[in-house]
Amino acid sequence: MKRKKEFYAKVSLYILTVIFLVPLYWLIVSSLKTDAEITMFPPTLWPHQINLKNFPYVWKYLHFTRTFLNSLIVSISTTVLIVIFSTMAGYAFAKKKFIGSKFLMTVLIGTMTIPATVLLLPLFFIITKLGMYDKLVSLILPFGVTVFGIFFMKQYIEDIPDALIEAARIDGCGEFKIFFTIILPLLKPAITSLAIIEFVNNWNSFTMPLVLLKSPEKYTLPLRLGMLSKETVAIPWSQIMAANVLTILPVVIIFLLLQKYFVKGIMSGSVKG
Amino acid sequence: MKKAFNLETLKWKLRKNDWSAYLFILPAMIIVTMFILYPAIWSLVSSFKDVKPLMLRNSGLFEVPGKWIGFKNYLLTFKDHLFLKSVVNTLYFSVIFIPLTMFCSVALAVLLDRKIKGINFMRTVFFIPYVISIISASLIFMMLFNGDKGLVNGVLNLLNIKGPNWLSDTKLAMPIIAIMSSWRRIGYFMLIYLAGLQNIPKSLYEAADIDGASTFQQFRTITWPLLRRITMVVFILLLINCFNVFQEIFVMTGGGPADSTITIPFLIYNEAFKYFHIGKASAMSYILFVVVVIISLTQNKINSKKLDY
Repeated sequence: MKRKKEFYAKVSLYILTVIFLVPLYWLIVSSLKTDAEITMFPPTLWPHQINLKNFPYVWKYLHFTRTFLNSLIVSISTTVLIVIFSTMAGYAFAKKKFIGSKFLMTVLIGTMTIPATVLLLPLFFIITKLGMYDKLVSLILPFGVTVFGIFFMKQYIEDIPDALIEAARIDGCGEFKIFFTIILPLLKPAITSLAIIEFVNNWNSFTMPLVLLKSPEKYTLPLRLGMLSKETVAIPWSQIMAANVLTILPVVIIFLLLQKYFVKGIMSGSVKG
Repeated sequence: MKKAFNLETLKWKLRKNDWSAYLFILPAMIIVTMFILYPAIWSLVSSFKDVKPLMLRNSGLFEVPGKWIGFKNYLLTFKDHLFLKSVVNTLYFSVIFIPLTMFCSVALAVLLDRKIKGINFMRTVFFIPYVISIISASLIFMMLFNGDKGLVNGVLNLLNIKGPNWLSDTKLAMPIIAIMSSWRRIGYFMLIYLAGLQNIPKSLYEAADIDGASTFQQFRTITWPLLRRITMVVFILLLINCFNVFQEIFVMTGGGPADSTITIPFLIYNEAFKYFHIGKASAMSYILFVVVVIISLTQNKINSKKLDY
């Protein structure tokens, strides 16, 4: 009885895994087809001959190196800012008693209910006013802190014993020195998880680049990819899929390498609070 | 006398106050104020104004302060048939997306909460779609559900069924988009549920086994009630997600066919960046905001009541 149940559970899991893999499989297979084969119906489940020419072609067509670098600059800088600023704020909220802390916390929680579209338009005007329109910095500075990051770090920092901070203070350690030399090193696992989550979020960002960038040479990868389907001279789907593979690959590699931290971060970030 | 007492506590409070805390929260607060709070207030103010933007070549769009026009923007919004249509479309999306995602993520979490061969591989498979951008996922699904050369119609062809032109069908386009959104997020919510499942003491199930409860009974009486708190959080997250459906529409259908996939955020984007109706777009944003807040608050209320078991 019990064994039979386990068997059904296993089989349904395998079936679901296959269903989940279909879109990814189709992405890869399509990117390997020739222009002629991609338009065939019914579609071939495996390319007649593996065509790797799509990749160098879209590499050039997308100005991949430039676009990739833009994405990298934006994602890394934003992630660094988020980690530093969110950790600092999280530390203050977790370990310091100050007038207005409850009020500020409520305000921060409140901002989480603001839908992204509400902010789109005014952000656009502010960025223009600050002279950051069509510059990569417009995708970095405004997103240099996330409320999620503050809460995430606050939860971790609360577990650090107060005695540690007290001892350092008695030894005459300054507040910032305590933060950088004692607190930060203890937070390495938390910082790694937060950094991966925020990196992936920023790497995938589309709406903000769409609104805040104009010149194609400043485009990030998802923006370039999203615009492909809108271009007047359409390129074949096999090439769009090759471009898609190139866009997805970096973030999937990062995920696979650092999976452990990523999963830990998501689990502790969303369930506790 | 009372006043003096208050002054004393204030002095005492000020002396005990950790002033260095403000330095630590300063960068975060500057960014939040400049790029979240100020924009939110700006939108609110603009929704009561007749703002006309000024386009300057190469340097973007500047706002020109407009006249106060009261609730005119809100009236215009409610009279706009596209707005009503976008509300209906967003609801259509939610009705498919929320139950589908929730059911699949709970089911997967329960199935994956055991020791079998390849479990780590499978968990990874379900999670990978989440790290893929919406844009990439949208393009993959456009390819899968393409009318002339897509895999889905290819498979249907084998069964001698002529597949429809999915994304050009007013009834089918939205479900496809909802399925894509689900596919991307199930892994994430599965993980949240998995964390919840692992917190349930195994002894509860052992006791139920002895009492002879079936698997389904165990799920209904033990697992599901204990996951309720997580389900509430997941529901709110999914709901907020429904009010943010923009990128997939932008890439996959552009709002078509026949406006059947225009969602609220997509409409706001069009009003703002295509027609430059700043005031109206702001009014629409605020209607959306108020709806989100109301739903979150009611949900919170229900949540706190139901929790006393």
